Amino acid sequence: MTATLGNSPMKFIDPHHDRWHTIVGEDGPMVTLSPAPYSLLTLLQWHAVRSRWPLDMPVGVAIGNADEIEDLKPDLPRIALVALNFPKWVDGRAYSQARLLRARFRFTGEVRATGEVLVDMMPLLQRTGFDAVVLRSDQDIEAARRALTFFPGHYQGDVRDNHPPFNREAA
Amino acid sequence: MYQYTSFDAHFVKQRAAQYRDQLERNLAGKLGDEEFRPLRLQNGWYVQRHAPMLRVAVPYGELSSRQIRALARIAREFDRGYAHLTTRQNVQFNWIPLNRSADVMDVLADVGMHGIQTSGNCIRNTTSDCFAGVAPDEIVDPRPYCELLRQWSTLHPEFAFLPRKFKIAVSGALEDRAAIAWHDIGLQLLKNEAGEIGFKVLVGGGMGRTPVIGTVIREFLPWHQILVFIEAIVRVYNRHGRRDNMYKARIKILVKAEGPRFIQDVEEEFLAILNHDVDGDAHLIPQSELDRVSASFVLPEGVAPIESDFKVPDDAPVAYKRWLERNVHGHKIAGYRAVTLSLKRLGQAPGDATDEQMERAADLADRYSHGELRVSHDQNLVLPWVRESDLFELWQAARDASYASPNIGLLTDMINCPGGDFCALANARSIPIAQAISERFDDLDELYDIGDIDLHMSGCINSCGHHHSAHIGILGVDKDGKEWYQVSLGGSDGSRISGEAVPGKVIGPSFAADEVPDVIEAVIETYRGQRAANELFIDTVRRIGLDSFKAAANAARRSTAKAS
Repeated sequence: MTATLGNSPMKFIDPHHDRWHTIVGEDGPMVTLSPAPYSLLTLLQWHAVRSRWPLDMPVGVAIGNADEIEDLKPDLPRIALVALNFPKWVDGRAYSQARLLRARFRFTGEVRATGEVLVDMMPLLQRTGFDAVVLRSDQDIEAARRALTFFPGHYQGDVRDNHPPFNREAA
Repeated sequence: MYQYTSFDAHFVKQRAAQYRDQLERNLAGKLGDEEFRPLRLQNGWYVQRHAPMLRVAVPYGELSSRQIRALARIAREFDRGYAHLTTRQNVQFNWIPLNRSADVMDVLADVGMHGIQTSGNCIRNTTSDCFAGVAPDEIVDPRPYCELLRQWSTLHPEFAFLPRKFKIAVSGALEDRAAIAWHDIGLQLLKNEAGEIGFKVLVGGGMGRTPVIGTVIREFLPWHQILVFIEAIVRVYNRHGRRDNMYKARIKILVKAEGPRFIQDVEEEFLAILNHDVDGDAHLIPQSELDRVSASFVLPEGVAPIESDFKVPDDAPVAYKRWLERNVHGHKIAGYRAVTLSLKRLGQAPGDATDEQMERAADLADRYSHGELRVSHDQNLVLPWVRESDLFELWQAARDASYASPNIGLLTDMINCPGGDFCALANARSIPIAQAISERFDDLDELYDIGDIDLHMSGCINSCGHHHSAHIGILGVDKDGKEWYQVSLGGSDGSRISGEAVPGKVIGPSFAADEVPDVIEAVIETYRGQRAANELFIDTVRRIGLDSFKAAANAARRSTAKAS
């Protein structure tokens, strides 16, 4: 199980061809909504509809940096996508949220980075459990792919394998 | 010294390659300056008054002669012929153009050096005791643990963008020479009654606008749990530390605000990692790994106790005797001493060394100290493995390289930041004040009569010059576009002579730059007038309080700076 957690290749989301959609009205996220497949809800929206959301209908939840990721834990088996936010790219709270989703709550759905997502964040995103990113529109996907190639190994474990080199069995 | 494995060496090269890619995108206009900034910061590149400043990491202060030669070469070929040693045991350059920065990173990588995490809101270079592994009062050699911390914190994916910078210091001796209580995390190595090794863990110390002494969060943490425990501390901080105000973003503010709740959160997080996370115990350090790392810190080849008949002849030069008294330190191996090369001398800024001086330091290290040097928290160089029988020869050679000022621990051995001459953050210059004080107190007899004293100076409230922890602290402030200096007394870094760590107290409104040497002299004269027999400055301050010092300092005031 360990080796497969969050070990899928990074998916680059094209926002114009994304099956997930937010439910937003003129005044922001709508409070009343009807369940529809591939809805990406705010935590508030999710809490309003979770009791009547059909079990087999794919749902995603977007979590803010200040939200307690622990609150989502009981619902994770029903959730296909968790979107985490970078309000500024130098705000690192979502890295901890992603790590907890993967390593502590064993979440196996998609963990998506949204907000100010830049090329040079890629290694950190990958290592903390993100498997999908919506790059800021001016970012270069080739540079993002290259950013994932510099380091063949690291000193500490991560969500792909929490064993640091000193505790890894020789291959 | 730690010997790089092929993994370490390759890692540093790849970091240099990654940086070159980022720099090239920046120079090609594909990576904006604002977005390049945090990336270059985490490689040690600031932009300062004249050019970018480069801060090179010296992990826990250990340098080889080969490495300091590379630093000398960088000073000569890329800079203006000098470098500056910092209180965090790093080395800084001031004049390297940014477009040559990637080339400098390659030169550094060739000798296993880099600027990784020497700036930015991440876990910084771990600092330690400059006498680690040689101090006679050592309980446990901190270097293997520092090296394990270096590895664990290097490019940690979760903790690269914390609310603010994060500094860890480790001491393994009875005497705290690393000011651990002033750090975000302070670690004191101990042995318990059963002889087992562990850490006393302090958290939430720091300087800046709000000086705070660290809180003890664990009295004894078994050594093998240290990485997991620090992970718990830093995760709680990353999630809950303030990000709305950079002046309230250090962990000390979170620890103060949350109180016992913070400690509880950390302990719960620690248990959650071990009990609930996938392979949560993977960062418990096995004995085999400690042994592997410790193998780099055995005694240098050929170092063994020597039957010692070291005596100073009565007719030895006075200057040599003084040097022995101040710059030569005890050693755990009989027949050996540690020697400080003083970087505090007239005509050069405190902590500065020219390329030529760095070359000479490398030669001295090769000849007398098994090729090894240390950078001290007090901004000097240390030779850790000197035979007593070589001391006289070393003294002569050190004197020729202007490294032999016999002033270690005395007033002129002051800690000093680069200040407004170089630093874009500074409110005031510190180097000219340091020079003026050094000139005022250039009489060695007088310096010796004053005795042990910590004078620290910062050019701004960021406190790089550690003025809060000084017996006499000087802080540069800006009022109405002019430089003023606030003087504080009675601070402590936590060392034995200074007592428990505590910030100093400001003695009144700021002074004008040209008044500072007079004020310091007035404070010193008050001490000399009021001290009891053999009483150190700090003890007199504690005994008699600040009033007479304030009165004397105010009498030296000529300008009228308004109270802040």
